[in-house]
Amino acid sequence: MKPEISRFLEVASAHLLLQSAPAISDGYEQSSVQTLAILLGVTREEAERAAARRVEENRALRTLFGEAVPLVSEEALRGRLSEAAEGHDESLLVSELEKGNAALRELLIALHTYVETLEGDDARAFESAIWRELALSTERRRLSLAPF
Amino acid sequence: MPDLSSRLAQYCADRLSDASGVRVEKLERIFGGASRETYRFELTYGEASNEITRRLILRRDPPGSLIETDRAIEFNTYKAFFGTTVPVPEPLWLEEDSAKLDHPFFIMEELHGFESSPQAITLAPYAQHAAKLAEQKWTILGEISRAKPRELGLDTVMEAVSPNACGERELAYWEARIDRDESCPQPILRAAIRWLRRNPPAPAQKVGVVHGDYRTGNFLYDEEGTIRGILDWEMAHLGDPLEDLSWGLNPIWCFARDGRAGGLVPREEAIAIWEAASGLRAESEALRWWEVFSCVKGQAIWLSGAKEFAEGKNQDPILVIAAWLMGNSQDRAALHALGRLS
Repeated sequence: MKPEISRFLEVASAHLLLQSAPAISDGYEQSSVQTLAILLGVTREEAERAAARRVEENRALRTLFGEAVPLVSEEALRGRLSEAAEGHDESLLVSELEKGNAALRELLIALHTYVETLEGDDARAFESAIWRELALSTERRRLSLAPF
Repeated sequence: MPDLSSRLAQYCADRLSDASGVRVEKLERIFGGASRETYRFELTYGEASNEITRRLILRRDPPGSLIETDRAIEFNTYKAFFGTTVPVPEPLWLEEDSAKLDHPFFIMEELHGFESSPQAITLAPYAQHAAKLAEQKWTILGEISRAKPRELGLDTVMEAVSPNACGERELAYWEARIDRDESCPQPILRAAIRWLRRNPPAPAQKVGVVHGDYRTGNFLYDEEGTIRGILDWEMAHLGDPLEDLSWGLNPIWCFARDGRAGGLVPREEAIAIWEAASGLRAESEALRWWEVFSCVKGQAIWLSGAKEFAEGKNQDPILVIAAWLMGNSQDRAALHALGRLS
C-alpha cells in the first residue's frame, strides 16, 4: 500500500497530537487523544518489525531447544523439545507467528524450570544461554519511548 | 456530566445537613487514574450566612481497572495520615453503596495547583530542585515506614501479617493475579518468581504501613521543589517497609533515563535518606529480594490492565500505554535486578 502504513501512522499521530488535541477543551478528552497519538507512534514502531522479530525469536528458540535435547533426561520434555526444534513457521501472518511464539515461550519456561534443577557446569552454562536468549527477547521488543 | 453533577450535589447535600443551596460546578475527570476514576469539582453551599466553595476530589471505582483494591482501606489510610508529617489531602466521605453514584467512591479535599507528572519533574522549573525533592520524597517514605500501625488505627483496617510472612504473602497475591490475567507466557516473570521462592527474604525488621505505590508520579510538588501531598494509597497494606523502598527504586520509574531513582538522585542517596528517616536498614540481600519482587508486582499490574482493555471492561488508552511501554521495561528491570541484563 502506498503511502506506506508507517507514513500514514506518522501523519495521523502528528495530526492528533498537534491539531486535534489542542482543539479539545475537556482536559480528560484532550489527554486521551494525546495518549492515542503516542500509541499510534508506538504502533508504527512495532508494526514495522512485528513479523521479523517473531520469526527471529522463534528460530532462536528452536535452535536453543535442539541444543538442550542432550541435556534433558526427562522423556516427555525431551520429546517436546525435539519436536519443537524440528518445527518451522508455516505462515508469516503476525497472528500465526504469535501463536507459535507463545507455544515456544511456554516450552522455554518448562525447559528453564527443568535446567534450574540440574547440577553441574553443563547445566549452568545452558542456564546462562537461556538467560542470554531472554535478554535478547527484551531487546527485540524494546520500544524507543519505553522508560527502561 | 450533568447527571453525575446533580447526583453528586445531592449526595453532598445529604452529608452537609446544615448546608443550603448545595451545587457542584466545574466537574471534570482527571486523566491517568487507572485504578479509580478521579474527578475534580467545586462544591458550593450556604452555611449560616456564608457561601462556601471547596475544591474536592471524587475517587470512584471504575468498571475495570489495573488493580483491584479496597477503597475503604485507601480512605482510612488518608484519614490515618491526615495531619501528620506525611502530607495527604483531608478525606471527607466514604460511600460504599453503589446506588449513590453507580460505583463505590470517596470524596476528599483537592490539593490544588500542583504538579504530579513523573516526566515534568525532570524538566524546568522542577528539575533544579531534584535534590530537595528527593530529600523530602524519601524522608516522607521513611516517616511512613517509621509509623506504628496501631497508633494510626490501621491495625484494625488492614490485614495483619507476621514479619516472616510479608514476602510470601505479597508474592502469593501477585502470582495469583498473574495466573489469572496473563494472556501469553511470561518466561522472565516466571523465572523471577522461581528465584524469589528459592531465595526467601529475611523477616521484616518491622511490620509497618506500606503505601504500595510510592513512586514519582504519585505525589504532588510545586515549583519551589516542595512536596505538597502523597496520593494514590489504593494498594496500602501492612508489610515490610522495604517493599515501598524497592518499588520506588525500580528502574521503570527512571523517567530521566539516566539511572537516577525516580528521576531525582542516585539510588544510594535515596536509600541513605530513607534509612536516616525510617531508622531501618536496607540490607542489600533483603532489598534485592524486594527489588525482584517489585518487578513481579509491576508486571502483574501491566498484565491486568492489558486484560481489562482486551476484554473491553475498561478501554482507557492509558492501559495500553502501561501494557506496551511498561511491560517490556519491567522485564528488563527484572533481568537487571537478577543480574542477567548484559
